[in-house]
Amino acid sequence: MRPFSGMTTLSGSLLLTFRELWAMRLTQAMLAVATLAWVLLSFAMNMDVVEGSLTALRIFGFETNPMEGAYDEATGEFVQQAVSLDSFVIGINTFVFGAAYFLGTLLGLFATMPLINGFLEQGRVDLLLSKPLSRARLLLGHLSGVWATVLVLAAYLVGGVWLTMSFKTGVWIPQFLMAIPIITLMFAVMYAVILTVSILSRSSGLGLVIAYGLIFFSIILASHEQLVPVLSARSAAIFMLFYHLLPNMAEVVVVQMQLVEAAAVITWYPLVSSLLFGIATYGFGFFWFSRRDF
Amino acid sequence: MSAPVIDISGLHKTYVSGLRRRRVEALRGVDLIVPPGEVLGILGPNGAGKTTLLKAVLGIVRPTRGQARLFGQPAGDPSARRRLGYLPENHRFPTYLTARQTLDIYGRLADVSASDRHERIPALLEQVGLASWEDARIGTFSKGMMQRLGLAQALVNAPDLVVLDEPTDGVDPVGRRDIRDGLRSLKRAGTTVVINSHLLSEIELVCDRVLIMNKGRIIRSGTVDDVARQGTGWRVEVDSLPEGVDTGSLPVRVEESGRALVVDDGQPTTLNALIDHLRASNVQILSVERHRPSLEAGFIDVITNGEAAS
Repeated sequence: MRPFSGMTTLSGSLLLTFRELWAMRLTQAMLAVATLAWVLLSFAMNMDVVEGSLTALRIFGFETNPMEGAYDEATGEFVQQAVSLDSFVIGINTFVFGAAYFLGTLLGLFATMPLINGFLEQGRVDLLLSKPLSRARLLLGHLSGVWATVLVLAAYLVGGVWLTMSFKTGVWIPQFLMAIPIITLMFAVMYAVILTVSILSRSSGLGLVIAYGLIFFSIILASHEQLVPVLSARSAAIFMLFYHLLPNMAEVVVVQMQLVEAAAVITWYPLVSSLLFGIATYGFGFFWFSRRDF
Repeated sequence: MSAPVIDISGLHKTYVSGLRRRRVEALRGVDLIVPPGEVLGILGPNGAGKTTLLKAVLGIVRPTRGQARLFGQPAGDPSARRRLGYLPENHRFPTYLTARQTLDIYGRLADVSASDRHERIPALLEQVGLASWEDARIGTFSKGMMQRLGLAQALVNAPDLVVLDEPTDGVDPVGRRDIRDGLRSLKRAGTTVVINSHLLSEIELVCDRVLIMNKGRIIRSGTVDDVARQGTGWRVEVDSLPEGVDTGSLPVRVEESGRALVVDDGQPTTLNALIDHLRASNVQILSVERHRPSLEAGFIDVITNGEAAS
């Protein structure tokens, strides 16, 4: 008998996940949306640029004059002026990031729910567990397939939009590409919630509800600087406990904004604490998956 | 003597569920040794603990107490499962895969090399009668076809031990015969087979040994003859049994057709007395043959009478 090849078993687990995602039409739908986004930007959008400012923008032939408010030091008043090309590029890229980050995560989590159901289904999981790979490796194969797919989709959308905008405007902001790992990592953090709750409760629906709840709660947590001063000491302590323990999905957007604007990132804490939450959740999920009966 | 393929001692499994911590004792001290090359059938009513026993051997459920070893290694050790093929009850393959893709993926998961998969998959599909369906999505398959595919999946790694949970469930008579033939060829090749089935006739036709489980315990183990009603009798076929021929004084019973009499006690003296009686009554005897009660009769006896484990 040839020596055990962990790569062969892992490739089986990965292939199963990729095929499942493909069969759910999820990957194709995301690729289609991403393609539509950069085809739209490439062909349907035309710009008139005068001295680094955008004086006119036409989308499908419809013209608009993008303006932004600016402080005039001479008069001390806010005036309307043409949008700078840099601001426009950052605006487009940020919009794409925001859509992919929030909408993509919400839809992605919803769409992958059947994937977890299928993986843990009686008659499927027991057959998988009878194969010569450890439970940890089996789960890792499943997760690697999901993470890799999200990474490819994020790279296709964000990278495509970035390339299109950069070629079209000549404004190159490579920091924008940080959106790719950030989207992938934060999706992985939220996926940890669904997976672990599903393993514990056999209900991916409950996992989805909790993951969505955490995402919406993160919007409240992101306002901690405004909320904590008006809370009682006890309430503030509880609020901050949640802030430190739970994923800070909404606040991570600030990190990405600071990266794109080439400003110094004031704190990586929201990203780091979210990742720690994800690691702990995956750890608990792996532990439980390795112990439970199927 | 070769080391056992399966070695179970004092195996207990208790499931605890719900907020009230309801306890279900699925296995209560099971001991079992399966030597290499044996075809073992496991019988028992629903809830007897048959599937839990198989899953404990495969490491899918964890014993509460006792131990199970597979090829000398603790059950649950992934390396022991390299020599194992398993067909679970009510298995679910992803319906979007084709038959060939299914065997390819499960072959990878079973650590079968690319060259072996390339060689074995077409042969297995041919063997289970799905060669012409290899590129069809299995979502379109009937229950019987899925079961054949499941069997091919269990054999994709050329295992030394094949564990089949209800392998003929939903399969038509021709398919059942094909599966039986497949099991016989596995036996000839020296493969150890463990079958859990409700179809007693299947077990009777292919198994070397049968064990009956009830309420988490093995209550009877032995060959099919051992487990069927003890001993064999005689069956006397007659042309017809005219009215007025009274066999009431002999320990025999008349079959429903009225054209055969069965000597259940297997005693030659009873047989000879019956033949004398029939001949004296001018009854034409067509044949006399050994008669063995069915496994089903023995199984029902064991379960209803709650016989002690042998």
